[in-house]
Amino acid sequence: MALRLAENVQVRKEDWGLLFYSPARHGVCFIRSGDRLYPQHFDGTWTFGDMVVDIAERTETPAQPIEQAMRKLITNLVERRMIVDEPC
Amino acid sequence: MNHADWPLSAPVNLTWEITHRCNLSCIHCLSSSGRETAGELELEECLSIVDQLAALKVFEINFGGGEPLLKDYFLTLLRYIHEKGMVTCVSTNGTVFNDEAVACFTGNPLVNVQVSLDGATAEVNDRIRGQGTFQRILNGVERLANRDISLSISTVVTAINFSQLGQLKELAGSFGARLRVSRFRPSGRARATWEELRLNSRQLQELADWLDNDTSILTGDSFFSISREENRRELGLNMCGACKMTCCIDPCGLVYPCAFLQEDEFCAGNLRETSFKYIWDMSPVFNYFRGLEPASCQKCPRYNMCHGGCPAIAYFANKDLNQPDPECLINWTADLTAGLLAGSSK
Repeated sequence: MALRLAENVQVRKEDWGLLFYSPARHGVCFIRSGDRLYPQHFDGTWTFGDMVVDIAERTETPAQPIEQAMRKLITNLVERRMIVDEPC
Repeated sequence: MNHADWPLSAPVNLTWEITHRCNLSCIHCLSSSGRETAGELELEECLSIVDQLAALKVFEINFGGGEPLLKDYFLTLLRYIHEKGMVTCVSTNGTVFNDEAVACFTGNPLVNVQVSLDGATAEVNDRIRGQGTFQRILNGVERLANRDISLSISTVVTAINFSQLGQLKELAGSFGARLRVSRFRPSGRARATWEELRLNSRQLQELADWLDNDTSILTGDSFFSISREENRRELGLNMCGACKMTCCIDPCGLVYPCAFLQEDEFCAGNLRETSFKYIWDMSPVFNYFRGLEPASCQKCPRYNMCHGGCPAIAYFANKDLNQPDPECLINWTADLTAGLLAGSSK
């Protein structure tokens, strides 16, 4: 399963993390992820597991706490219709 | 949300008044449009601004004016923006669509068209937008209907059209469009008509109830300060977004906090002289607005849901940005309560 932006949703990097924007709903979503996540993580080529491994390697952090935090985050973004989780 | 905790490197969206030229002369026009202003931006200058906004990843540009479609290069500019992948919204009076404009809008996921209509009948609309405009606007809407165009009917809620909001929603629906409502604000020609057209406290209460009960109605701006329910506020912000998430470019390239605050003292910079990024990051005006917390509101129990409401209305009413939005929920509730108490004591 790969994560990608929902239809027409855009995202950009800010110093504090990621800013998602849904023009259809004029909705914004602020994610305080610092430099752990980048817009490219939602280009449809990254699976949840890929993202966890990538963050763990770059931040030299054990994968388990990252996985827990990421699962909450991804669920939130899916519920807010900013991203979709779909087959690769 | 505290801006200091979530500073943005660029606006989420911005309003761009591309011209002051307009073929109508609405009595509530926020920019007193009519004639083109001397020194409006040339196409090449606009393209350069778009390049800057695209590099900053501004998500959306909302065009207004004036009538954008009367700017000779407007569709060229719009197509250029779409090539950059940026979303646009075109706020138009609906009376000047040509085949090229309709073709540009059709099947285009990057453009939303808002046609202004201020009454569900000619009698009401034409009092605001001018004699004969109701039918001309409907003819324009008809050209866009059923064409795979993201279309909304945009109404500024005034005392004149307040009783027709339900009909306006039905009328919009008959064209496959949604109704978008905006607050009436004292800017441009609306300053002269403010007392005549503004809603009274009872109407503000009814409007708040109506919006609370019908989330299909689109709201583009600061209804958060007059509205009660959480479900309504979740559709938008809980504070004015000026200088934090949005701003306004005027036809000559001057940058302001918002379209309703185009006063000399609020001019943040000139895009002919300074980059957009520099103005956004460094303008003292913008930084002042980012820290604005109206002193008179800070003990209010709704402060975190409103943050003082609309500064443009507060400024017009009091010439003081540290005063509250006079139409905020607390103020209209207080008015109504005072009225009830006065009534019960008789």
